[in-house]
Amino acid sequence: MKNRLKVLRAERDWSQGDLAERLEVSRQSVNAIETGKYDPSLPLAFRIADLFGLSIEDIFLRDA
Amino acid sequence: MTRATSSTKRATFLWSAAFMVGMSGTGALLFTDFVQPPWGMAVMLVPMLLLIPLVRASERMQRAAGSASPAAARYNRRMLAASFAYVIGFLVAVALFVDQTVSKPVAAMLSLLPTFGTFGMIWAMARYVTEESDEYLRVRTVNAALVATGLLLATGTFWGFLTTFGVAPHVPMWVLVPIWAMGLGIGQLVNKVREA
Repeated sequence: MKNRLKVLRAERDWSQGDLAERLEVSRQSVNAIETGKYDPSLPLAFRIADLFGLSIEDIFLRDA
Repeated sequence: MTRATSSTKRATFLWSAAFMVGMSGTGALLFTDFVQPPWGMAVMLVPMLLLIPLVRASERMQRAAGSASPAAARYNRRMLAASFAYVIGFLVAVALFVDQTVSKPVAAMLSLLPTFGTFGMIWAMARYVTEESDEYLRVRTVNAALVATGLLLATGTFWGFLTTFGVAPHVPMWVLVPIWAMGLGIGQLVNKVREA
C-alpha cells in the first residue's frame, strides 16, 4: 500500500529513527511501512495518524 | 548499507563461521583416538562458548540494522541458555547411557535430559512471539517459523517414504529440532527475498 510517510516525515525533519522512537517500533518497521513492504495493522495505522494529526486516509492511499 | 551495518554483519558472519568450524572440528575429533566418549565429548562445550560472542555480535548487528527490540534481546539470552542446557543434557545422557546397561525406565529418563533444552528453545520462541510488541518484527518471525514448519513436514514426509521404500536409512527423530532451526534460517532468507 502506498503512503505519504516519507513526505510527512521530511516535512518535520524527522529521520526514520526519530519516527520509530515516537511510534515505539523498530527503525526497520518504519522503513518497511514507508517503502510499502509492510502494511501496518489498524491500531498501528491509528497511532501513525494520531502522531501526524491526520486521518488514516490522509496517510495511506488506496491501491488503484 | 551503512559502514556500521556492514561491519557488524561481517563480525556476525565470522563468529558464526568460527562456531560452525569449532563444532565440526570437535565432532571430527570424536572419530579419532584423541577424544574418547563419553566424557571426552565434553570438548564440545568449548566451541559452544563461541555462541556468547556470536549472540553479542548478532545483537550489535540488529541494533545497527534498526531491528533490535527488548523482546529480541530476551529471546537471544533464553536461546543461549537453552542451547547450553541441550548440550549439557546431551553429554550427561550419552555419558550415562554409554555402556547401555541401564534399565529401560532409566533410559527413558535419560532421554528427557537433552529434551529439556529443546523445550527451552521452543518456549523461548513462543515467549518471543508473545512478548514482541513490534508487529512487523513479529510477523517476520512467524513467517520464518511457517517456512521452517513447512520444510520440516515436507522433508519428514519425503524421508519417511524413502525409508519405507528402502531407499534411505532410518534417521533418529531428534534431528527434527536442528532441521526446524535450519528452516528458520531459510525462512529469514525467504523474508529478505520477498522484501527485496
